[in-house]
Amino acid sequence: MSISREAYEALQSIVGSEWVSDDPAICIADTKGGYATGIVDINAVPPACSIQPGSAEEVQQIVKVANRYKLPYVPTSTFFTGMCAPSVENVIMMDLKRMAKFEINDKDLYAIIEPGISFSMLQAELFRRGLFTFVPTCGAHASVLANHIHCGDAPLAWRMGLGYRRILATEWVLPDGEMLKLGSRAYLKDYFWGEGPGPDLRALLRGNEGHEGGLGTVTKIAVKIFPFIPEKLEPQGVSPRTTLKLPESRMKWYNIAFPTREKAVDFMYEMGRCEIALMVSTIPPLFRYVARSRGLGASTFWEKWTRFGETANKDAMDVRVLIFGWTSEKQLAYEERVLMDVIADFDGVARPAPPFDESNFMSADAVCSWFIGGRFLSEVYFESLDCGLHTERGIREISRKRTPPLADTWDTPMLWAGYEFAHLGKQEYLNYADESELDALRVHEQDCREMDLKIGAYAIMEDTRMFGKAWYNYNQKMQELKNIFDPNNLSNPPKPLERPLHEKKS
Amino acid sequence: MTLKLEDLRHDASGCIRCSNCKFTEHIWMQSARFGRQCPISTRYAFNLYSAPGLMHSALGIMDKKLEFTPKLLDALFKCTLCGACDVRCKRNLDPEILSVIEVLKAKAVEVGKGPMPEHRVVTENIEKRNNRYGSPYDNRLKWLTDDIKPAAKADILYFVGCVASYAHNEIAQATARILMRINTDFMVSQDEWCCGYLLYSTGQVDSFSRQAEHNIEMLKKSGAKIVLVSCAEGYKTWKVDYPKVLGKSTDDMDLKVVHIVEYIDQLVKDDALRFKNSIPMKVTYHDPCNLGRLSEPWYHWEGTYKRYGVPEPPKTFRRDGHAGVYESPRDILKAIPGIELIEMERARDNAWCCGAGAGVELAFPDFALWAASERLEEAKATGAEAIVTCCPTCKEVLHKAAQSRREKIKVYDITEIILEAIS
Repeated sequence: MSISREAYEALQSIVGSEWVSDDPAICIADTKGGYATGIVDINAVPPACSIQPGSAEEVQQIVKVANRYKLPYVPTSTFFTGMCAPSVENVIMMDLKRMAKFEINDKDLYAIIEPGISFSMLQAELFRRGLFTFVPTCGAHASVLANHIHCGDAPLAWRMGLGYRRILATEWVLPDGEMLKLGSRAYLKDYFWGEGPGPDLRALLRGNEGHEGGLGTVTKIAVKIFPFIPEKLEPQGVSPRTTLKLPESRMKWYNIAFPTREKAVDFMYEMGRCEIALMVSTIPPLFRYVARSRGLGASTFWEKWTRFGETANKDAMDVRVLIFGWTSEKQLAYEERVLMDVIADFDGVARPAPPFDESNFMSADAVCSWFIGGRFLSEVYFESLDCGLHTERGIREISRKRTPPLADTWDTPMLWAGYEFAHLGKQEYLNYADESELDALRVHEQDCREMDLKIGAYAIMEDTRMFGKAWYNYNQKMQELKNIFDPNNLSNPPKPLERPLHEKKS
Repeated sequence: MTLKLEDLRHDASGCIRCSNCKFTEHIWMQSARFGRQCPISTRYAFNLYSAPGLMHSALGIMDKKLEFTPKLLDALFKCTLCGACDVRCKRNLDPEILSVIEVLKAKAVEVGKGPMPEHRVVTENIEKRNNRYGSPYDNRLKWLTDDIKPAAKADILYFVGCVASYAHNEIAQATARILMRINTDFMVSQDEWCCGYLLYSTGQVDSFSRQAEHNIEMLKKSGAKIVLVSCAEGYKTWKVDYPKVLGKSTDDMDLKVVHIVEYIDQLVKDDALRFKNSIPMKVTYHDPCNLGRLSEPWYHWEGTYKRYGVPEPPKTFRRDGHAGVYESPRDILKAIPGIELIEMERARDNAWCCGAGAGVELAFPDFALWAASERLEEAKATGAEAIVTCCPTCKEVLHKAAQSRREKIKVYDITEIILEAIS
């Protein structure tokens, strides 16, 4: 794999020799995306070179060189997901980490972000100013920009909504190298407004679950931020036992036990109707045992999990709720009274939980699901909480048939998270296998797809072509858009259309 | 060294590329400016210049899909082995990524691609004269002044180390005078050899083993029970790397290693020592990596990974930075009248490396100065008048950075402060 000397020198003239390299070690290090190693990145090939632009202008020039020499390019930043591992030959890997400027407008409540800023960086800066934002489920290490244009799935989305709804003005380098400015940035040097003047193309960024670099490169976005309470979240401890202590006058955790999944889901709907709490999510026993064993090693987890399985209650489901006195202490008291009423209506048993957090305001422990060894595949559905009941039941039955080699989940409930006051529900099912048994996960994945077709569910990272009328002509329209935006098919081909899992199966 | 690269395949392939290893612990992060943790990743940004890149390279080397290219050697030997990536990773996961980087360096040496030419000069100095500077061997105890009178026989052997013996005598002298003032008998040894930290951290394991064996034998002959050090590199080398190359656990070594800050802190806590003199100064404390997150005892483990990555036999101790020496120096500083200790944003297990570790200052002085300058910026942001540390190498590079930038901030070794407080 290589690109012509002429093309390489053209790239070098843009960023300087320090910030472009075709050294094989540099290229191999850019091959492997994270997440589901050996599954999502199975078709990854090393890029021909890696380049680190320092500005949007440099991105534009790089893209123009890519077009001149007909070289595909892949934009990436924190590189956690395998979606940006190159899957075609002779790719220019465009790593945007050096672009890490940000600006916070604490009067109009928005932040302007470049791709190299992680959520923890932004959140830390916001906390200093008495503001805050969500932190995604994948972790605080994720790029704020990349996550907002992908989906912005976050525990606090119960109240704050998904991140992709909060994109304001945007600067977007199109696949031909032209700069497209959306929202107020189109005419003003201001980022406060997302819609017009002119057509509002933000839906193209969001797509089904982001375009994954398939329609160009977003170099700057403004995102909405929120006022926080005056009290501080206090960091405590030394790694691996670090946590944020929450101010008890404004925040309170409850773990609520329900006799069945259905009762728990009905409770979540009612909580949404009452419009209280900052976060509402189930606590799968698997997650609870992972959290308990974090920092103690995989042996501890498997020992405890196996013991738990002998007596596990397969029907019971716990829900975790964070009530929040966002405006005042009185609001916390009000939310607590309402919560107690709703719990009683659905036969729940409430237990107050300690005032600490590692998962929602800074999401420091998001990747701990991997520590128990082996590999896992996560089936994620964004639809309704009710839909989650169907998909979870289906996957549970499939898993049972494939266990072993899949690790035993003891038929216990998996994750349901309510978003936007339960108008949207996420259901996630984790299946583990040993790293030597990845085929078992792939077969399991295929079984799940067949189940999806049967019940009409749609998992993220799934090939939308499978679903025919359920997705109307989504793929056809995306192909048309891709042809218009990227006639040379250079911007992270073949995104945003095909999914790595589908490619592997075929 | 007992470990070979192939022994660490499970660890190298366990990297999920989450990049937590590149950032300050999210819970403790206080600003974007000081939100990064890995010096090579912060400075060079390419994925290769980070733990995930090096993990993938290690797999490439194992699978013969990659050779030691110039960039790989550059990234590998610019890594200061500060261990920040390892601690960040182990907040959630289990791979021994620092071991992978150490063994990858050793592999580069084994195939004749490493270490860097500047390291080879030091190796030659150590092999010929048993110190990193190549000074005459007889000069090792030249730092002893007339007023310093070590005992002929004592339970404590003060292992001075090359930097304090040859370059920063003020640290050796302050340590010895402190011990004398508090009536602690100590020996020093003319037969002390370089601890070998530079050899181990540049992958020269065979040469390092020779140093380890000699120094352990020297200690045995002296009859001392405790090795007292004033150097973070020496501390970690005795406590962690000597047992590691001998295939033992720290607990199985017939010796005890104590840093001067641990010794003094215990005396203060036992009310056996009080600081008389006031030192009116705002200071900030720089945690040396080798005294902080890297100083946990070594537990030798040989085994295999069973299904789902369960180690067999089970691992009895997890080196994840929780048991580093963080509080002793802080408690000492807080106990000195007049001193106001202000923490930097990145402290304890989150400390930013000074940039000099693992021979990086020798081979890549500009990069080391850049890393030290980053630390100075962070120290300045606290409003402190001085940075205090517990490691001669940290002191040296921080001092150089301050000089090169004409900064007013002073840099002290903690022994200098302690001595002033008890004199």
